[in-house]
Amino acid sequence: MTEAHRQDRHTVALMGNPNTGKSSLFSALTGTRQKIANFPGVTVEAKIGTTRFENSEITVIDLPGTYSLAARSPDERVATDALLGRIEGTPKPDGVIIVLDASSLDRNTYIATQVLEFGLPAVIALTMMDVAESRGISVDAKKLSEALGVPVVPINAPRGTGIADLKETLHRTLHHPGKVLELDYPEDFKRGVDTLHQELCDLGVKLGFKPVRPEALRLLVDGAGPFFDECEEVGGAEFTGKFFEIRERTAAGHSLSMVEAQTRYGAIGKWMQDVKQAEAREGRTKTDVVDGVLTHKFWGSLVFLFMMGLIFQSIYSWSGPLMDVIDGAFGALGDWVGGMMAEGALKSLVVDGVIAGVGGVLIFLPQILILFLFIAILEDLGYMARAAFLMDKIMSRFGLSGRSFIPLLSGFACAIPAIMGTRVIEDRNTRLTTIFLAPFMSCSARLPVYVLFIAAFVPKQEYFGFLELQGIVLFAMYFVGVFAAIPTALVLKKGILKSKVTPFLLELPSYKMPRPKAVGRVLYERGGSFVKRAGTIILAVTILVWAAGYFPQSDEIDAKYDAQLATLAEDSEEARSEIENARAGAHLENSYLGRVGHAIEPAVEPLGWDWRIGMAAIASFPAREVIVATLGTIFNLGGDQDEESATLREVVQNAERPNGSKLFNLATALSIMVFFALCAQCAATLAVMRRETNSWKWPIASFLYMTTLAYIGALVTFQVASALGG
Amino acid sequence: MSSNTLDKLPIGATATVTNVQGDPQLQQRILEMGVLPGVQVQVVRYAPLGDPIEIKVMGYSLSLRKAEAKHISVEVSS
Repeated sequence: MTEAHRQDRHTVALMGNPNTGKSSLFSALTGTRQKIANFPGVTVEAKIGTTRFENSEITVIDLPGTYSLAARSPDERVATDALLGRIEGTPKPDGVIIVLDASSLDRNTYIATQVLEFGLPAVIALTMMDVAESRGISVDAKKLSEALGVPVVPINAPRGTGIADLKETLHRTLHHPGKVLELDYPEDFKRGVDTLHQELCDLGVKLGFKPVRPEALRLLVDGAGPFFDECEEVGGAEFTGKFFEIRERTAAGHSLSMVEAQTRYGAIGKWMQDVKQAEAREGRTKTDVVDGVLTHKFWGSLVFLFMMGLIFQSIYSWSGPLMDVIDGAFGALGDWVGGMMAEGALKSLVVDGVIAGVGGVLIFLPQILILFLFIAILEDLGYMARAAFLMDKIMSRFGLSGRSFIPLLSGFACAIPAIMGTRVIEDRNTRLTTIFLAPFMSCSARLPVYVLFIAAFVPKQEYFGFLELQGIVLFAMYFVGVFAAIPTALVLKKGILKSKVTPFLLELPSYKMPRPKAVGRVLYERGGSFVKRAGTIILAVTILVWAAGYFPQSDEIDAKYDAQLATLAEDSEEARSEIENARAGAHLENSYLGRVGHAIEPAVEPLGWDWRIGMAAIASFPAREVIVATLGTIFNLGGDQDEESATLREVVQNAERPNGSKLFNLATALSIMVFFALCAQCAATLAVMRRETNSWKWPIASFLYMTTLAYIGALVTFQVASALGG
Repeated sequence: MSSNTLDKLPIGATATVTNVQGDPQLQQRILEMGVLPGVQVQVVRYAPLGDPIEIKVMGYSLSLRKAEAKHISVEVSS
């Protein structure tokens, strides 16, 4: 085989600041051949794709955008670990592409100086040259290349220019050893790094890897962080003692962060004198003009309120017809498949378990896609950062950040897109708190429960000619969740999720026209990842509840109703379906689910419930809106009930206990509504929580916390309402 | 010329950073974003509710809370 024909494989890491066009470049390089790499123990992920150049196959790892390699949390450590090939299942890069935004080159170059100290073969991809030019800044790529000692290729990924050149340069670079960037650190600092590096190498055997010099620099400057914890664990007090001594000696009363930043930015400032020519421009940039309106005290607030109203309304109302289509299609599919199958367990599994389960997963897709359509457009536009800027003061009162606002607002439509939307929150603890709070926002699936019980038990009354009591109760139900979320947020942020400081240092990127391709990519990724990952868990839980409600099938019950059918005096459709519905109800009571309902009756009695409500609540854990259909079955109406059905409303109004007293009254109805407002009855939410936090800890905590809260809330509601004579 | 902290500056004011302090983690974040001694910053605006602040530094816009800005000492030019 000749040299030219040999297939060679490489792996490169793609790094750079956020908002630099890094993901556009990744897409331009890899097209659709990409997958998500989940890193264990952290909440960030990277995308992996492949690109070809001649006979080479190059794997590209798109690492999360970051301003620095300093690592105070495991999430921030990922970039360094990935760069050094220390993440299991992710290939070790033999080169790196650093993406730099020419329009704010000074700050962008900061991370380049850190990455180049690792000495990997590197290429700089220079983006946003057009934006820089429009501001009167011209960047000399050749001089930048001379300064940094690595090739620089100007690119425009959305237009596709420079990509071929970048690949060719990268290919060439990968065949030569990289060069370590040498910066002018003070002598004491260099000596400190060297001494610590030596100590780390001595520790290397126990660490399981050979620490490189830039890691020693990071450890020396950052002090605390995941790498320090790791070293402390294997090196014990002997290591930490030496570490603190070296650190103190090196710092000599100064701040090491300051030394690092001044050295790097000092070098950058010198280089830029040659690299960058800024033509003095009078007047304001387009972004300044737009911001004059969008962050204006009055107009900015008005636009913001309008945007939020629009997003909320759209998730709520646009998704309705689409959800109906999905619901109808799966109903029809179930009927069609059911019609071709013989009665029995298999038919019930396919129709009521699998088809209904898949439908139950896909029904959330319209809401997810609509929310992400807005988020993707606003993010690409640069508005999301402004929204956070506007809302930060209010959210910071609850220990959250401005970035938490949009996810929480969308939680009122559906917690799933809300949780997925928390990725924009940089601080890990703030993000976890927001994820935990999202299910407290009263989502649209709770509405059927409210509608049914409010219509049935809250009297129609008007105050002052326009305030409707039913409307007030509905509003109050929405408020219950918020009311529970506020102290939860404060407790979380003051307690276990306390961020020492929650820095709200937020870049306000320049406005850009949203690119349909980028928006489409976000929709495709978010929609796909929801269906694939969450879908499996939701489906499993749905089938589990189906089985609990189906088995054991009693022949006695069938015999009893068969006999009734046979002796039917008048053979009408109506009479038949009445008996069939009674049969379904009897089977459900006899099922494991029905038995569980009976078993927990003593526990739900203080809430004003009987076994039937208890069972319906349990059956609603996979998806809370199921309660309406379950109540339909249990009260022998058949499963095809919805919250608007007058019959179901009448039946719950008239349902009786064995002693003849009414099962439901206003107090019971309120207690059920409060329970549903607070309870974590959504397998999809828990599955998404697991996926986004990369741990079972959070969904389990959320489930236990919300269920307990729901129980207590319902208990208090019933007891108080009963005492008040409800 | 007068010394002050960044959170005290009025809209439109231009100043040179003289020192960055605060909790080590916060200090490091501020420095990394390009706010370090010798660098010029300009206060662009305050958010409608009075906090956070938007500043221009190194040719880009950065938003930070007043509580963070108070760790940044500046010297106001003119």
